Amino acid sequence: MRTPPRLVARTLTVTFIMVAVILTVVFVVITLDVRDRVRAAESDKLRVSENVFSALETKRQQDQVAAMTTLAENPTLKAALDTYFTERRFSGSSDEQLRATVMGETAKLAMQTPADVLAVVEANGKIFTSAGPAAARWPTGTKVEIPGGTQPAFQSVAVLPGGAFRVTGARLTFGDRPIGALVAGTSLDGNYAQELSNLSTAGVVIIVNDSVVARTVPDEVARDLVTSRASAGTVALNHEEYAVRPMLFSGPARIFVLTSVDAAARAATRAALFALATVAFGSVLLAALGSFWLARLVSEPINRLSGEIVTMTAAREFDRTLDPSGTSRELDSLTTAFNDLMRSLAAAEAETRSAYVGAIRALAAALDARDPYTAGHSERVSTLSVMIGRTMNLPAAEIEVLRLGALLHDIGKIGVSDQILRKNGALTSEEFEQIKRHPGLGARILRQVPFLAPHLPIVELHHERPDGRGYPFGLRAEDIPLAARIVHVADAFDAMTSARAYRAALPASHAFAELERFSGTQFDPACVEALLAAMPSAHDIEEPALAQLLGRQLV
Amino acid sequence: MSFGARNSVLLAAAVIGLMATGGTHPTAQERSSVRGRVSIGIPVTARRATSAYSRNVPTVALAPESELRHVVVYLRDAPRTPTPVMRAEIRQRNENFVPRVVAVTVGSTVDFPNDDPIYHNVFSLSRTKTFDLGRFPKGKSRGERFDKPGVVKVFCQIHSHMSATVMVFDHPWFTVPDEGGTFELTNLPTGTHQITAWHERLGDTTMELRVEPGRTETIDFVLPVPAAQQ
Repeated sequence: MRTPPRLVARTLTVTFIMVAVILTVVFVVITLDVRDRVRAAESDKLRVSENVFSALETKRQQDQVAAMTTLAENPTLKAALDTYFTERRFSGSSDEQLRATVMGETAKLAMQTPADVLAVVEANGKIFTSAGPAAARWPTGTKVEIPGGTQPAFQSVAVLPGGAFRVTGARLTFGDRPIGALVAGTSLDGNYAQELSNLSTAGVVIIVNDSVVARTVPDEVARDLVTSRASAGTVALNHEEYAVRPMLFSGPARIFVLTSVDAAARAATRAALFALATVAFGSVLLAALGSFWLARLVSEPINRLSGEIVTMTAAREFDRTLDPSGTSRELDSLTTAFNDLMRSLAAAEAETRSAYVGAIRALAAALDARDPYTAGHSERVSTLSVMIGRTMNLPAAEIEVLRLGALLHDIGKIGVSDQILRKNGALTSEEFEQIKRHPGLGARILRQVPFLAPHLPIVELHHERPDGRGYPFGLRAEDIPLAARIVHVADAFDAMTSARAYRAALPASHAFAELERFSGTQFDPACVEALLAAMPSAHDIEEPALAQLLGRQLV
Repeated sequence: MSFGARNSVLLAAAVIGLMATGGTHPTAQERSSVRGRVSIGIPVTARRATSAYSRNVPTVALAPESELRHVVVYLRDAPRTPTPVMRAEIRQRNENFVPRVVAVTVGSTVDFPNDDPIYHNVFSLSRTKTFDLGRFPKGKSRGERFDKPGVVKVFCQIHSHMSATVMVFDHPWFTVPDEGGTFELTNLPTGTHQITAWHERLGDTTMELRVEPGRTETIDFVLPVPAAQQ
């Protein structure tokens, strides 16, 4: 059979699993919650910053329009341009000096604007002249389409062969008479995207005709943005969530400002989760300690109790009661129940024992009764032995051993024939050999009964003598157990003070004298002394056998 | 307002009168004439200068000048003919040149009196006549003589939205139509002529015409408005 696990292990496991499950659920719930909250907070933050950027950008554009409107009021530029066209129309020839004047003015104005190119566009849409770093991409004579370019001031996107430009412009007019437009163009390239990105602290993607012309975010993200055709809000790009905001939708061009919500939330989420994990680790540790303590609390008294029971069983102290531990009502009731059980067991054993003793006593009496001269012998020897034992201050347990052992000491005589026992006269050596067999025989009989084991030495050795001339083993002095020595003295005394077929009963004094005479050789001196000391008080004992004995002696 | 309007009409009448007298040759015998009407493809409404941000400019109290007054009808291929000098004026009023178009003969002087309570400037970058009259305040007037035929654009350095045109001819066959667009060129030499109607914005429209002695031909101009301006 499999050994069941220890209670500690079991309690530990159950408690730990429960705590772990609870913690896991809490952890998961909080994790999700934290993730959502962080994400919402980050989204809000991004939206606010994008709004701020939007407002700033709008203001910047307005400023640019205002600046362009002011530049478009340049009198020299306008006068030269108008004069140039009027003369060309009137005479068919053009004045290159006027063209140079316009170009010069344009170049001067270009220095005042941060734009990549500043161009004068004729009323028919052709580039008259251009200046600035990107002038080469605005070649003279090229027709440029500017959506919304007929407004007094405009912002738009113009696509030229050399690339797309974000343009801010103002019309050149005399009153209601338009003569062209002054256009500042910013190339929609990586530099512009980077500039916007720096201002907005976000990613920028510039798309012209559905192809990415500039970006400050990874290529996959930009491509996903094109394919998603999203315009605003939260969009999943390249497996990440982005807060996307359109900055410019103009003609074929689209400029988006976008920030990864995931990237922003990642750091905050990581911090929150780390704190949570620390708490979780601590909780698990606490749970382990707590469950261990709990398990100990339950198992410790049980262990102690079972230990006590083991000790008790080993020592055969069945009459001892266990003290209630006081740790729990259940355990105390278990202790009480155990004590009750032990008590009833002890009672049952005592009953069994008394039944045995009764049976043995009856057997001994029956043996004694085989010979009229030995009737009551065993009872008397028992009484005398107890008296000697008491006088010698033996412990109560040994007194009990003595009482029963003395009662049984001649049980071996059951195997000795009546002829020998009742023989009226001296025994032959062969007959004596028969007699000498009775202690061994008695021992053999009693060995069958386990609980009579303590009495065995009395039965077996009550004919040994201190001088080593006793039987059956010829043991000497201290080698003979005290109980056997006591019974030997008591046996001899009763034998002498009892009548025999071949002699009358000796008086007690004679018997004492005999005992004293052979003290040290046949009899143990301490036992003889104890018997002598005990006799004067013998009449106090209300033992029927003794009263009978004393009465006879006193006659 | 009423003063300004009347003033303007009086001025216009004076100019026409001048031109009419200047255009009629004293030695005319059996000369023919051309009369007609100029109209614009679609009406062009006069507007104030506009800008992206508001500027506090005094609003015009005048009735808008007819666009037809910005037209000059002239004989394109006229031979060089000595003409008497004229004196015309372009006033600077309410940040505008009034009138915006003036036609004069070679050697004539155009005065630029300033009616506004602010400084004005008059300059030109034209090949025909490059000049800069500098800045002058209200009440002052500066004049410029035009010795070469051609077109002269006049601007104000201070107010970049102001512009005017002075057309200088070395012959007498030119005129500015009246408010209704009607015009008449008289004492034309017999033959086939190219007659041009020039508009400061719409450019030239030229028509060919055979002029018979003693007869009055009729010709109507419709000045096209470019698609971009519609």
